[in-house]
Amino acid sequence: MGSLDWDTVAILVALGSFPISLALTRFFMYWNSAHGIVGIDVHKLSRPKVPEMCGAAVPITLIIFGEVYSLITNASWIPFAAYSLVVGLTALVGAVDDKLKMRGIFKPILTLFCGLPLLVLGFEFPGQVYDTTLRVPLFGGYHLPVIYPLTILVVISVTSNAVNMLDPLNGSMSGGISIVAGGLLVGGLLTGANSTTIFLYASLLFTLLGFFYHNRYPSRAFSGNVGQLSIGASLGALAILSRTEIASIVAMFPNIQNSFFFLSRIRRFTEHRELKARPTKLTSDGKLASSADPAAPLTLVRTLVAEGPKTEREIVSDIWGLFIASTTLAIITLLLTGIVL
Amino acid sequence: MNIRVVAYQTGIFVIQWGLMILGFGILTKIIAPLKLLQPTLPLVMYFDAGVKALIALAFSVTWLFIWDRQVRYYFFRRTR
Repeated sequence: MGSLDWDTVAILVALGSFPISLALTRFFMYWNSAHGIVGIDVHKLSRPKVPEMCGAAVPITLIIFGEVYSLITNASWIPFAAYSLVVGLTALVGAVDDKLKMRGIFKPILTLFCGLPLLVLGFEFPGQVYDTTLRVPLFGGYHLPVIYPLTILVVISVTSNAVNMLDPLNGSMSGGISIVAGGLLVGGLLTGANSTTIFLYASLLFTLLGFFYHNRYPSRAFSGNVGQLSIGASLGALAILSRTEIASIVAMFPNIQNSFFFLSRIRRFTEHRELKARPTKLTSDGKLASSADPAAPLTLVRTLVAEGPKTEREIVSDIWGLFIASTTLAIITLLLTGIVL
Repeated sequence: MNIRVVAYQTGIFVIQWGLMILGFGILTKIIAPLKLLQPTLPLVMYFDAGVKALIALAFSVTWLFIWDRQVRYYFFRRTR
């Protein structure tokens, strides 16, 4: 590896996660189908049965490749251990929720504890997991010795649940978060981020693309909470490990908008399946239309169909368009972070 | 892709992004350097951090309120 720089090595190793994620997703599709772990695609007139919990391929691939990269490059094991534990724990919470169908309040509470590895390892190994100085674009930064460590737990809970809430349509989450991971990878390369950061964003991108292949319209694999929560937690953990906190918030604007409007209307943590007033309805020609019920939450999808009914593919394209816009702003944020007025 | 709705939403994102950077700027340059109490007193560090966190929380609520108004304006104008 003498002639290759470390960023290139990081991206080459991360590329290997694509076929592994692709194969693992395929394995879960067959295994889960055979064991009756299926969900109904409610946004299609034929209501096909689709294997659920196939998103388990994502945390498994991320953890395997994190450890492989750490071994190959002799990089410090601490950030990888923190990252793998956060992703693994949130995947576990998601898997339990998929099987037991817990009440909506449990997911945000349980995922709060999933951030503990970052906090504990950060205390034990100062400077290797998080930095309590928040870097602010154009304005320098400020030291948060008390608040920052406490915020870590909230960050993991918020990012995992925000991603969990914006996966209503085929490929909307996997495609959207792939755009975010790709954008932040480009931002990291442009700003000279360290090779660990480059690797973690690249592995998230390629792992998601492997899953996306089966999850895209018409979906043959559903992520389930196991995939959604661990992908969101992965983004949150990466924001902390790579010091891209503010840029990550910006990249997740579509998730933030969706979660905020959902919670501001419903005023409690609840599952979509428990909602009495659905945000959208399926028309007789297979399109999605905004619900006429004034009690329905103003989700991102409902906002996108405000002008009239649209097909699932059109709405997913719009959601990706919004992720492209927010990720572009995130890259600008990263570029501005090194500049002080 | 519906260019109009994506463009409108992108406009909202740009406004929210600008406000967020400005808010973090105010926190960095004005709020964070404030010394609210004598640093020799016990637990002062925690009180100071708590008050500043509350100010940051107030900023966040205002930020979300502005976001809320923009989306609602669009949604209810389109579905009228």
